[in-house]
Amino acid sequence: MITLYDYELSGNCYKLRLLMGMLGVEWKTVPVDFYPGREHKSDWFLKINPLGQLPVIDDDGLILRDAQAILVYLASKYDASGTWYPRDNPALLGEISQWLAFADGITGTASAARLHDALFYDFDVEAARAGAHRLFRILDEHLWFGEQEGRNWICSAAQPTIADIACFPYIMLSEEGGIPRQDYPAIRRWCDRLKRIKGFAVMSGVFPAGPAKAA
Amino acid sequence: MLDLAKSRWHPIAAAHDLPLRHVFHGQLLGREFAVWRADDGYVNIWENRCLHRGVRLSIGINDGRELKCQYHGWRYSNRTAGCTYIPAHPADAPARTITNRTFAAVERYGLVWSAEEPQGEVPEVSGFAEGKLLALRAIPVNAPADVVAAQLTGYRFQPSGNIDGSAAKVAVEASNAFSVALRSSEGDASTLAVLFVQPVDSNRSVIRGVLDSEVEGAARLAVLRHHNELLSRLRVAVEAEAAREPAPAPLEPIIERVSPELAEMPEETTHGRKATIRVQVTRKWSAADGIAGFELRPLKGLLPTFQPGAHIDVHLPNGLIRQYSITNGPGESDSYVIGVKLERDSKGGSTCLHETVREGDVLAISEPRNNFPLRRDAIQTLFIAGGIGITPLLAMAQALNNQSLGHELHYFAQNQAQLAFPEKTKTLGASLKPHLGLSPDQTGAKLREILSGYGPDKHVYLCGPGPMLEAARAIAAEMGWPETAVHFEYFKNTNVIDDSTSFEVALARSCMTLTVPAGKTILEVMRDAGIDMPSSCEQGACGTCLATVIEGEPDHQDVYLNDAERKSGTKIMTCVSRAKSARLVLDL
Repeated sequence: MITLYDYELSGNCYKLRLLMGMLGVEWKTVPVDFYPGREHKSDWFLKINPLGQLPVIDDDGLILRDAQAILVYLASKYDASGTWYPRDNPALLGEISQWLAFADGITGTASAARLHDALFYDFDVEAARAGAHRLFRILDEHLWFGEQEGRNWICSAAQPTIADIACFPYIMLSEEGGIPRQDYPAIRRWCDRLKRIKGFAVMSGVFPAGPAKAA
Repeated sequence: MLDLAKSRWHPIAAAHDLPLRHVFHGQLLGREFAVWRADDGYVNIWENRCLHRGVRLSIGINDGRELKCQYHGWRYSNRTAGCTYIPAHPADAPARTITNRTFAAVERYGLVWSAEEPQGEVPEVSGFAEGKLLALRAIPVNAPADVVAAQLTGYRFQPSGNIDGSAAKVAVEASNAFSVALRSSEGDASTLAVLFVQPVDSNRSVIRGVLDSEVEGAARLAVLRHHNELLSRLRVAVEAEAAREPAPAPLEPIIERVSPELAEMPEETTHGRKATIRVQVTRKWSAADGIAGFELRPLKGLLPTFQPGAHIDVHLPNGLIRQYSITNGPGESDSYVIGVKLERDSKGGSTCLHETVREGDVLAISEPRNNFPLRRDAIQTLFIAGGIGITPLLAMAQALNNQSLGHELHYFAQNQAQLAFPEKTKTLGASLKPHLGLSPDQTGAKLREILSGYGPDKHVYLCGPGPMLEAARAIAAEMGWPETAVHFEYFKNTNVIDDSTSFEVALARSCMTLTVPAGKTILEVMRDAGIDMPSSCEQGACGTCLATVIEGEPDHQDVYLNDAERKSGTKIMTCVSRAKSARLVLDL
């Protein structure tokens, strides 16, 4: 069974809870008191992840860190449909990796602004917000043209991929860092679509969508 | 300039921004909007705050018929924005004043238009043929609208028919503070682009461009990308220019507490039952054997918000006033649909509607009243309808069905042909359970079966002929259903009213003592004394003229109150009930 070293309010941990929920994988949680306990910098946790970062999983002895890396692992191992991370499609894998890196950019900006506002981190919040808006403009444009081409998700696949999961949490939590999404209507619609994926779960600050219209 | 802008129409969204079951977050002149398209196509533009705690409704849930706030689940109806349900008060019908502010909405040129205080119509664009236009991707810009509009006069683009060219001549055909019309021509190709500038706030705008012709196939994307790229580049320049000036303070829209029309008390009258709304019979049809359906649309404006279980008074051409339940499902707010059974012993009400009233006729109706509210906090809800008693329960079942809340609608009728509104009941799927052609004994046995297995948080709603209701209530009591879980509505009061007593009524709040003589009702005596009291059926069935008793012993003659309410002695129906004591003190 998978063990997730988890902090409830972390968007990066949420990515894994989301994907595992959607894949129907069972896991158990070891809570790590990120704030205010700074347990992720404690001796016991640094032994598991010397970077002192969440999340970490332990899958029968295989210890992995980094949310994006774990998404790749989980989808490769547990997705029977092979749509979340299609290993036999190099072009799509390239696209997914590109957007996983983009998701890291969102973490470095939108999540940083949220850490500043909510957990009192000493970051340059204006720079973080401006950086997030720059990324959101790019993603909104990408998704808007995707809709025009009949594409619902970030990558050019008919099904959602781990790139969607990787980008979603810190976009959805951006308002907690003072970054409104009003100017990004295509992102807002994509968020609705993602929330309607079977197995979707909420976290504090992420609200559910209602059901889509029955066809 | 921005003050004047309040009276102008502005685009606030593109039509494609409003897919079904989504809520768009808009803003105009500082005022935020929650914008959503209901499943019936209606575009709602509302103040972006829940009336309860001010949470943005743009993060709410559009269920196709109603918008639900994420915070405490208050529900607001399509069109009217009236509150239809408050989960924390499951037994109560929300007051009509709980209505969110709505704004005008017009779809035109592929855009959705609104205005705070609109004057005139959405601007006419010559050369624009509806349905043959191409709406560009909107470009939000962090700059004042006038700065954006000024820059747009220098916008240079290729006509759609020659997108790869580079020598287009662009001429400004028109421009004002909020829009620029440009024509680009090269060779035979020519395209008119109108770029509207939506003033979002003092320092924020959205460029919403529309081209005069749709483009098919792959060229369409190329045209969209062409403008997106050029407008994005223009945005960089405009934002750089705007950043050189100190940012103006954001606009502060005034949030009305409650609209003046809702805030004012109804006019005081003594003429009794009011019929303030004029409706037209836009459709009359046979809803079942012996049952006529009527679709009533307002002559002007919107119909008031209704809740499941609500009824209206219909004032008939022959002077009679009759009560009919609204059968509509949630959010079906463009008309009221009622069902009228032709009664064999009609005193003129149902005969008049069946035989005299025709499509196109105008009728006067009252505002909807809800004395039969539906709780939505039950684990399981049973509806038991006899014949035309289906009408309020049909509205209720549709409401629960829309929220995927567990329910069963048991519908007793003589035969299949008597099952009314098949097009509505069909949407309920397996929760509809018809019981056809049962004798009274068989009906009793079936009711016993349905009502067996009472558990906590189960509720039953009954509506049908008197004898069936009596039987169902007796069986429910026998089966252990508490009175608080059994809700009922009678068609009429068949009790023989004894109005031979005379007594005194003291109205505590009005500081008035009146004498009710034999032959007159409390309601009539109060009206004669100038006390305005709402009423509807005036026979003790509907619950509208309910008053609270402070002192004295009521002589109940109605069929609205349940036994527990009667025994408590704290409520009275003033249209039929009287006093056993010499004096009654009412909280009026």
